[in-house]
Amino acid sequence: MTDIPDDFDDGFDDGFDDEIPSTIHLPPLPALTTLVIELHLSGLLPHFANTLCSIGSAPALESIVIDYPNWGHIDGIFSEDPWVDLDRWLSRIARHAEVAGGLTLTLRRWPEGKSIWEGFLPKFRESGEIKVEH
Amino acid sequence: MDSIPQELIDTILDNVPESSLLSCSLVEKRWRQNSQRRAFDTISFSSEEDMNRWCADIPQDSDGISPYVRHLKIKEIYSWAEPALLSRMLESLSSLTTLSMDTTKIPDELPGHISCGEFGNGITALHLSLLRPTFAAMTSLILSLPNLKELCIENCGVMPEGPHPARPVIPQRRPLDSLGLHGFVDGVGEALAESQLTFSRLSSDGGITGIMQLLLVSSETLVELKLCGAWFLRVPRPSRDDSD
Repeated sequence: MTDIPDDFDDGFDDGFDDEIPSTIHLPPLPALTTLVIELHLSGLLPHFANTLCSIGSAPALESIVIDYPNWGHIDGIFSEDPWVDLDRWLSRIARHAEVAGGLTLTLRRWPEGKSIWEGFLPKFRESGEIKVEH
Repeated sequence: MDSIPQELIDTILDNVPESSLLSCSLVEKRWRQNSQRRAFDTISFSSEEDMNRWCADIPQDSDGISPYVRHLKIKEIYSWAEPALLSRMLESLSSLTTLSMDTTKIPDELPGHISCGEFGNGITALHLSLLRPTFAAMTSLILSLPNLKELCIENCGVMPEGPHPARPVIPQRRPLDSLGLHGFVDGVGEALAESQLTFSRLSSDGGITGIMQLLLVSSETLVELKLCGAWFLRVPRPSRDDSD
């Protein structure tokens, strides 16, 4: 079993760690370039968001895909806490990205012609790019 | 028939349905080899009787069909009357690259036989599904395959063992190319993490506690992470007190 020290520091001094409760801290993932998140009918569950938020540092990350193949009735879900937490985490990862061109977030199989995601992930939009693939 | 170029025969054989391959192999000599190569690329067994028949009937020489087999599937053998049978089968398949075990007991003797005989050197992919192995059985099998690149575990729960189970000694090895954990995989991630098995790509839709531990172990080597099907992921708990 790998021990996680109580004083584990992810290397970033932005107070982020205090903002999300129940987060398990992971060490930096220096080689990680691609992250694919596939959501299903239950959407983004809080503990799933927590898992992602526990990735403290991934400087080589160049692509994140949020794939939503079974798009259901989701109006209004983006104001829920897990999405807010995910937005803050994505924003931090994007700000610390060390790859040329920065971090790209792709929303795959999201509904075409809908505007509900236009204000989606507002913090991330300040430092990263969102693409939509229908 | 003799005037047909071999390339054309090969193209035909690449495109006929599998059900026609054995008929094609009877056309003439030039058709036989490639027909059999495709027909016997993957073989499946669901009983020891069938496996024994294969071992008895199929010549194990290089001119036979055994060298064509690259993928061996074993299914629904819940216990082994002859535990060494699977080892014998593996030993006879010199070109085997993929081993799939579905709802089948891992014979206790198998990892030892593989390690001693070195006939697992060619196996690069291992698929385990619907098993309920012990920690020792699963990790011993994985670790007995020195060139394993792809490991896929689906709907396997590791059985609890006694308070002091015999844990295999883990030799230093390079990271797997890919690890897939799907469905009900309680305890599997934890067991693999404890084995210090590292990997470059992880795809998973279950067993979040184990995933977290795997990420800790493979933090330096992980290149691609795919997490999906979040509906049955369990709430992770910090493992800071686990060292007690």
